[in-house]
Amino acid sequence: MPLLLRYGVAISFFICVAILSSEIVSTLAFGKRSRCAQPKSSGLRGVLYVFGRGMMPWEKESATKHPLTYFAGVAYHAGIFAALFYLFCVALFMGLGALTLSLLRLLLILGFFSGSGLLMRRALSSRMRKLSSPDDYASNLIVDAVLVLASIDTYFGSATHFGSVTHLASTTWLLLLVSIIMFLYIPFGKIRHCFFFFYVRVLVGQFYGRRGVLPPRPHEA
Amino acid sequence: MGEGRELGETHKMGLDETREMAADETHKTKADETYKREAESVAGDPLEERIARLTPEELKKALRVFREKINSEYAAYLNSCVHCGLCAESCHYYLADGEIESIPAHKLNLVTGVFKKYFTSAGKTIPRWVGAKEFDQETLREWVDSLFGRCSLCGRCSLNCSIGLNIPYLIRAARSAMVSLDLVPPGLQSTVNTAIQKGNNMGIPKGEWIETVQWLEGELRSEVGDSKAKLPLDQKGAKLLYTVNPREPMFFPLSMAAAGKLFYAAGESWTFSSENYDVTNYGFFSGDDEAAATISDRLVKSMEELSCKTLVLAECGHGFNSNRWEAPEWLGKKYGFEVKSILEIVADYVSKGRIKLDPSRNPDVVTLHDPCNLVRLGGIVEEQRYILKRSAVNFVEMTPNREKNFCCGGGGGQLAMTNFAERRLKAGKVKADQIRTTGAKVVVAPCHNCIDQLMELNKHYKLGVEIKTVCEVVANALVMSGSGERAS
Repeated sequence: MPLLLRYGVAISFFICVAILSSEIVSTLAFGKRSRCAQPKSSGLRGVLYVFGRGMMPWEKESATKHPLTYFAGVAYHAGIFAALFYLFCVALFMGLGALTLSLLRLLLILGFFSGSGLLMRRALSSRMRKLSSPDDYASNLIVDAVLVLASIDTYFGSATHFGSVTHLASTTWLLLLVSIIMFLYIPFGKIRHCFFFFYVRVLVGQFYGRRGVLPPRPHEA
Repeated sequence: MGEGRELGETHKMGLDETREMAADETHKTKADETYKREAESVAGDPLEERIARLTPEELKKALRVFREKINSEYAAYLNSCVHCGLCAESCHYYLADGEIESIPAHKLNLVTGVFKKYFTSAGKTIPRWVGAKEFDQETLREWVDSLFGRCSLCGRCSLNCSIGLNIPYLIRAARSAMVSLDLVPPGLQSTVNTAIQKGNNMGIPKGEWIETVQWLEGELRSEVGDSKAKLPLDQKGAKLLYTVNPREPMFFPLSMAAAGKLFYAAGESWTFSSENYDVTNYGFFSGDDEAAATISDRLVKSMEELSCKTLVLAECGHGFNSNRWEAPEWLGKKYGFEVKSILEIVADYVSKGRIKLDPSRNPDVVTLHDPCNLVRLGGIVEEQRYILKRSAVNFVEMTPNREKNFCCGGGGGQLAMTNFAERRLKAGKVKADQIRTTGAKVVVAPCHNCIDQLMELNKHYKLGVEIKTVCEVVANALVMSGSGERAS
């Protein structure tokens, strides 16, 4: 059974990637946007900006006006990446050092509380409720579940059983099970933005970069 | 807007008086149209009547059009909104009314909902779960109200989007579907129609246009004391072809005169076209790519016929975005000539010393409004600042400014859609507050749509400012080298 669950995680992950890849293909099937206008500046510079300085909170009014939400979002996503890393270590029998485990634990706990905070913000604000569909809540809940289970598991579970093929702590059991559900859900809900996000950032960077809007030019004194 | 008018009255007046007349005329025109529109709404809302009459076949056709307007970039955007709601305060509509319907994410939801329903597997199988929407009469009512009536396509939400979605272009794609259903608000549609049928958006007859240019040429000659000074028309082989907003010959001849004076002072080789001089393109606003391509293609043809090297676009935000960035895509071709804003040209004159300026001639506090289509979506950001700092003694910035500026509320076709005029004025409060905070006496706006809106805001919010184009400020600061004749 433990091995089966580990296989389950791997299989659900590949199913997720396969469906998302087909989504990408169907997105590309919509046809390329033409680029006949002569660029004023470099699209690449725009791309570098949106992945670098453009991600900083002071560069965006929406972030400076909502610093808590911004930092919760950053912590949430850092936690998600930590959870994915942890999950694959568990699934692939990879051992983790104490320091790495502590760092992961910190990120996971921060991520869980941030994600829960964002979920509460969505549930408690009438403005956010009106913007939300059931998928918004479900996506957040399922990721929060993975984060909290992974956090707990760093204490009680796989930290001591990474190499074991036959034994799994109950927290690891749950973590793997919920992860399977998460991977199978990703292509159908909004979590799939994780796949589109990088592509979209490239597009928006190119758009503003070619037009000479981003990165902002130095101001004359 | 959208109807031909006589120019004779303007000709009989001095240049300064026409500014006041323009303000009054703008109000009169808008008041007339608002009255007409209100009368229509009593008799029945034409858009509502149209929606009620839509057949399933028409809806299918519009959905096909919507599909055609979606390319892979747009599809990626439509798959990526996470409903974080952080875009809300970036929108001047939401800041003004606080209504959910004005939040960019909500407006985008109206579009993504339809996209999900018909073009994603999740939307087809579990529509309610993922917020997919039927493309029906109810949705179209919301589309008209929110995508036309609550959006000036300013793009401020995009820069503030946590993902980076190009929201105005997605909203424009939805507007394209509404074009195919004749659901463009009448004022906006009639402006497009006038441009298509009469060659310019105000329906100015060719003879009147030529007469105006000749009249201004006479004014220029007497002003610079050179009987050879010219506002050239159809001069083959000229380096620059200069285009104007038809509101300039109609109501703002000062703007045209100012540009002509700058070209004269710089000894530039330039010309107007007697046929195609309209820089505006309301097809860009309505979402009608076909009409937009037809309108922009006229300028391309004039460039080819007159063998000019650079198409110079007057101070018009959407005209710049349309002709510089979008028209090559609508026409599906790379241009064999340069397309520049007049601001790039003037900044070049100043930096190369081709014109001399005396900033003390503009002693009042001057501030600058950044038109969204010129700055955030057009990339003309620093040129106007470079020019104004050398043309006025006391230049102050609004906050925020440059690509982060707030829309004045006049873009996106809002000035032509009189049925949403009340909302437009309300949404303009953000800009009015920005202006008031600067303490400026002069607001410079390199866009005639913005100028129209700012003039209304000036009256409505009692700002007590004067509104000018960049060229007008520069022309006022211009130091002519000698008073004699010069070769032009």
